[in-house]
Amino acid sequence: MLECLSQAYRHRALVQVLILRELKARYRGTALGFLWSFVNPLILMMIYVLVFSVYLRVDVPHYPVFLLCGILPWAWFSSALNESTHSIISNAGLIKKVYLPSEIFPLVYVGSHAVHYLLSVPILFFFMAFFGIPLSWWLLTFPIIVFIQFMFTYGLALFASSLAVQFRDLLHIVPNILMIAFFLTPILYPASTVPATYLPLLELNPLAQLVMSYQDILFYGRMPSPGGLTMLAALACVLLVLGLAFFGARKDVFAEEV
Amino acid sequence: MTAIELKGVSKKFRRHSERPPITTLKSYLLRDLWRHRKPTEGVNWALKDVDLKVEKGMTLGIIGRNGAGKSTLLKLIGRILRPDKGTVTVQGKVASIIELGAGFHPELTGRENVMINGIVLGLSKSEIKARLDEIVDFSELQDRIDDPVRTYSTGMYMRLGFSVAVHVDPDILLLDEVLAVGDAGFTRKCMGRMKHFKRMGRTIILVSHNLATIRTWCDEATWLHEGTLRMSRSPMDVVDAYLAAINGADAALAEPAAGGLAR
Repeated sequence: MLECLSQAYRHRALVQVLILRELKARYRGTALGFLWSFVNPLILMMIYVLVFSVYLRVDVPHYPVFLLCGILPWAWFSSALNESTHSIISNAGLIKKVYLPSEIFPLVYVGSHAVHYLLSVPILFFFMAFFGIPLSWWLLTFPIIVFIQFMFTYGLALFASSLAVQFRDLLHIVPNILMIAFFLTPILYPASTVPATYLPLLELNPLAQLVMSYQDILFYGRMPSPGGLTMLAALACVLLVLGLAFFGARKDVFAEEV
Repeated sequence: MTAIELKGVSKKFRRHSERPPITTLKSYLLRDLWRHRKPTEGVNWALKDVDLKVEKGMTLGIIGRNGAGKSTLLKLIGRILRPDKGTVTVQGKVASIIELGAGFHPELTGRENVMINGIVLGLSKSEIKARLDEIVDFSELQDRIDDPVRTYSTGMYMRLGFSVAVHVDPDILLLDEVLAVGDAGFTRKCMGRMKHFKRMGRTIILVSHNLATIRTWCDEATWLHEGTLRMSRSPMDVVDAYLAAINGADAALAEPAAGGLAR
């Protein structure tokens, strides 16, 4: 674990340059360029507002802001996990030809989408100002929640990326799991609308705790559940440590198997 | 001083045709049905019990037929692969130029790719910034350096890749058939850079099918045959023996045919 961290530190320039490569290449040659980072979540938000607020009449005040609180971190989580599942396979050219610690590949995707996420947060503040939602002091805990999400996502990404090398079905399984998880996580609806019988589904879903924490500090301006957040942080640490060990045990064969 | 030492190194590869690895859920579920097969039958030894010692400052050439294990040997020295048996000890910073332009992104400009490629090959950011102009000059791509790499011709792409590679300045340089890029003028420039490397006392391992290159450039040569070291001596001797073996094989092939004609 410590060895991994020191390796990551030594290769920080590499991680940085590869993240920059992802960010630069993503919108290169498009007319809107970086604005796509704003447009994508806005389009999603508008269509959900139409369906859930207008058609289905979900009764949440300031529904667009509520949606954005969940959609933006979800976009980070799902894009990062999806792309890092492919990360070892899609970087086969590098892994086969140059000696690099492979742990950096999932890290690059989790990192580049973290940058996208942080850059899209201003839209949320814009909508909060527009709907007159006050900023609360709990906003100061935002970096902590981001950090927990980072560890959680990278931990999962380490498992998914290393498993996908020998078990390619994962490339199709992960998007499906993500789709199910999206609807089971209170992004489109507030957690309070879930009937008591189905509460375990919510309580057993670590992503629900994550999204609810964002909604608490941003939308409701209140303290996130300390117990829930601590559990999530503990889970994220465990996932990260196990993920690094799992990945480390498999990475020697990547150059032969990809 | 020894720069590279291999002791009893063996490397095996699984032959996918004979024992399918678990790559899909279906094969995972069906794995037990295959259990009666012997798992060892699909193993190929790419290298068998190789001992090799390379002194610092030496240029070693590796020759052999396709599939003899030359690239595998290079990848083991470059830590890209791990040996299944034996040990590989390497002293100093290694740059493996097994492919030019590793990590190039087609949408990014030549300049941006030089940054990425340089860091991938082990340079620090400040080092590459300091050498950027030199690299661009060397590649002779001054006019096109801010265009996306996807607009480059193959030769231009290779030239840029090679320019970064030769400016990495490692203690040990591993080259796999990459010297022959670009036109005659550029090749001469590359040779000049290699000479510079040798003068600086760097260790070079060169895999090449160009026997003339091996003869002129290397201090010692090694002949790999079906995963084992057949001969390690002066380049002249090794190249002669290698050629003799190839000619011998040709003669052996030609003889029955000639006999058939005579009858």
